[in-house]
Amino acid sequence: MLKNYISIMRGAGLAALMLYGASLVAQTTATGVINGSLVNKNGISIQFDTDPAGVTLGAAGTNAATANFGAVSAFGPLSGGVTRPSVTAANFTVRTIFDVQVIQGGLTSTTYTLTANLAAAAPTGMNYKVDAVTLTTAAQTIQVNGAYSTAIPHNLDLVVSTAAPGAGGPAVGTPITTTINFTATAN
Amino acid sequence: MDCNFKFGGKIALLILGGLLCLLGASADAQTSSGQLTITMNVQSSITLVFQDNPAVGTTGFCPLTNAGTNNVGLDLGTASFPGNFHTSACVNYTHLTAADYQVSSAFDVVVTKANSSSPNYRLAAQISTPPPANVTWLINNVTLTTAVFTTLDTTDNYATPITKTLQVRVKNTVAAQVLLETITFLATAN
Repeated sequence: MLKNYISIMRGAGLAALMLYGASLVAQTTATGVINGSLVNKNGISIQFDTDPAGVTLGAAGTNAATANFGAVSAFGPLSGGVTRPSVTAANFTVRTIFDVQVIQGGLTSTTYTLTANLAAAAPTGMNYKVDAVTLTTAAQTIQVNGAYSTAIPHNLDLVVSTAAPGAGGPAVGTPITTTINFTATAN
Repeated sequence: MDCNFKFGGKIALLILGGLLCLLGASADAQTSSGQLTITMNVQSSITLVFQDNPAVGTTGFCPLTNAGTNNVGLDLGTASFPGNFHTSACVNYTHLTAADYQVSSAFDVVVTKANSSSPNYRLAAQISTPPPANVTWLINNVTLTTAVFTTLDTTDNYATPITKTLQVRVKNTVAAQVLLETITFLATAN
């Protein structure tokens, strides 16, 4: 019994020393965690691109572009990228083509609806059309199923009255500037 | 029982509230807007086209090729001094004197204006190459030259057909040959 008791106590003492040694080693390491997070926001963006068949846009690739038709007339020469699809006794139409590209992220939407409106009432003797839709200051639907991430060409028509200035026609020889607002809404 | 009912009602209200929140979130459609600013400069302009006269096909009114454009053809056929010879049925052939003849045909000129307060226009014409000796090209009895545009009218009305007659006068001494001429008409807004 006594021998057994001594043996047990030795074993216990040895085990205590080993645990002590182990605790000395554990004190040289450290652990930590990083709790990362990201809020993935959904949204869509619109930009105007130059179409190969149209005028070169100013600030192309942005959502605030410009299109300069240059000098337009019923019978005279036109700038590159501008065509004159029709001339009647009452008016003539000059046209350019521009691209709209809408990009989405984080949405389940597969298409978008494009609307447009004039920022202000059209100047005297002028009408503006996008894809044959006459624009007003109220939003007009241009396209209901636009595909995302695709440069989609649109016709921009300026319908100019042939009447003389002061008789219902537009001002002649002075720049006429008009802003069109476009809105893309995810379907 | 009463306690269970109250508890169940609160759960139902919570679920309903959650659904309404989700519905509200989905109804808030994603949009993006942009602006395209257009600049242009309207210019006054006029255009000139040649048209067949309403009497086309009768004597003195031959048909134009490419009528309705500003680049037409007018074939006066073949003619010679002896025997009042001419192959075209639509030309007007006459002996002007004992030594020369004239072949003529009429057509219309239409000038249209746009974005202009001009009340009318001037019309002039010029031939492109000097004709052979003893050959004369005229419009309404006005002899044309290569030197300058010769005024034909000073106050023609827009959008109104103006009938003009092209005449070729040939002396009987002129050798057989093809007579070709390009006649340029110039309309100028007044």
